[in-house]
Amino acid sequence: MNILAFDTATAACSAAVMAGGRIVAHRFELREAGHAEHLMPMVEAVMEEAGLGYRDLDRIAVTVGPGTFTGLRIGLAAARGLAIAADIPVLGVSTLETLAATAFDMAMKSGATVIAAIDARRGEVYAQAFEADGNPASSPAVLSLADAAALAAGKDTVLVGTGATLLAPLIEAAGGTARCGEGPGLPDAGVLAEIAARRAIVPGVAPPAPLYLRAPDARLPATAPQRWPR
Amino acid sequence: MPVLGIETSCDETAAAVVGEDRRVRSNLVLSQLVDHAPYGGVVPEIAARRHVDQIDSLVLKALSEAGLGFGDLDAVAATAGPGLIGGVMVGLMTAKAIAVVHRKPLIAVNHLEAHALTVRLTDDVPFPYLLLLVSGGHCQLLVVSGVGRYRRLGTTVDDALGEAFDKTAKLLGLGYPGGPAVEKAAAEGDPRRFSLPRPMLGRPGCDFSFSGLKTAVRTTVEALGEPTWQDVADLCAAFQAAAGDVVADRVVRAAADARQQHPDLRHLVVAGGVAANAFLRQRLEAVAETGGLTLVAPPPRLCTDNAAMVAWAGIERLRAGLLDDIAVAPRARWPLDADAAAGAKA
Repeated sequence: MNILAFDTATAACSAAVMAGGRIVAHRFELREAGHAEHLMPMVEAVMEEAGLGYRDLDRIAVTVGPGTFTGLRIGLAAARGLAIAADIPVLGVSTLETLAATAFDMAMKSGATVIAAIDARRGEVYAQAFEADGNPASSPAVLSLADAAALAAGKDTVLVGTGATLLAPLIEAAGGTARCGEGPGLPDAGVLAEIAARRAIVPGVAPPAPLYLRAPDARLPATAPQRWPR
Repeated sequence: MPVLGIETSCDETAAAVVGEDRRVRSNLVLSQLVDHAPYGGVVPEIAARRHVDQIDSLVLKALSEAGLGFGDLDAVAATAGPGLIGGVMVGLMTAKAIAVVHRKPLIAVNHLEAHALTVRLTDDVPFPYLLLLVSGGHCQLLVVSGVGRYRRLGTTVDDALGEAFDKTAKLLGLGYPGGPAVEKAAAEGDPRRFSLPRPMLGRPGCDFSFSGLKTAVRTTVEALGEPTWQDVADLCAAFQAAAGDVVADRVVRAAADARQQHPDLRHLVVAGGVAANAFLRQRLEAVAETGGLTLVAPPPRLCTDNAAMVAWAGIERLRAGLLDDIAVAPRARWPLDADAAAGAKA
């Protein structure tokens, strides 16, 4: 199975191609901005390195969020554009699951809980807890630091993501133990491709949409904008 | 030689296929009006969310209505700015993806250029022509002397004309979008009952200003207390008349300015969303006739935001060999004339 995977959901940009069960091309760069410019050249580079044409792909995998709203849309617009153009399915995977996948090896040894957390600013994180075997223990949510730390429930915890250092002291203060996962704590397309390879695609299902977790920052005016015609 | 056009720079999600023979093979526009109307204006984040949900299926529909597949296209064109950047990115990324899969040229279209060239899709208008570009975000006078060749003669120093219509509508409780609502109310009003200022009238140059007019509308509304429908209609008529006078005055000056460099100037073109206003078209018709110019205005559905104009700009740029790299960046600000003053409104 040939998979093209990419991620632009947070402060990184990455792309990978999996063929014959292994990653044959991979790029990852730290990137705060400019995903819209850099993503497609990166995708072209991994496809060329893998020696594949777009119509040789069996599926496209993309992170759906949570993350920066703009980053999610860049990745999803590209993935859904490739999907209609090459007539192949897109599979959306959450960024939190992509992050957590890097911590299960570490968690398995001690049966620890994994909490994937992305700094969402405003004193909040996007977070989700997982059992050491990979099963989700909570739903992805935007939480206060205290509420996210409470996901640990006093258990031995492995933290992964940019929110890890925000939560670790709170978990420790509550009497739990918290270890931080390895690596930059940002989603990686190589991990994403591996998750996508294991997942079933349901035919006829709508393409994935962004998982924002926050409503648009817009307030309705105090008085209705339209009073006429009466 | 069909080209696919994609437009997502404001609150319309649009896809279209246009042929080099100027045949509009499909032209689909999904308006987000109902999503934004409760807020009294476009909410950028809501707009971007709608675009990413809808553009892929809309592109497929545009192709299917055109009776074409991706492989039949000669290029993929998308608005790359100026506009609400979150939405622009969605359309541009979609276009990039299609372009790489089918190895088609990508054309990153300036939204203003798409408005500027629409008239060449609908009418036989040669270069050069004088262009009045009036929309919710823009109000400028330009000489269009070729594809990619624009000289700005004047622009607004504060609000765009469409913005002035929207703000007037808001002050009067006419809802959003304001342009059509103000025009409709004005048709029932007496333009002479209220006296409103004509900013910039008679001043040298071709710049516009509408904030003083807007302020005068506000003061008048406040003095009225609880306006009746007739008050609203009369005020709309007065506003529209004042705006029309200002635009007419500026256009006359711009025509004189443009003629110095282009004695062969024959056409006045009006484009952009406000060009759909029938009152304004009448005023411009008269101004053009007096100045020995022919007014050409594309039909309203091609003046408001659409993707056929983007596809057409793509065709014009493709012919001129003006293609873009897959790494091209979306741009929130992107003046048409390269030497536009820094800080001036695009």
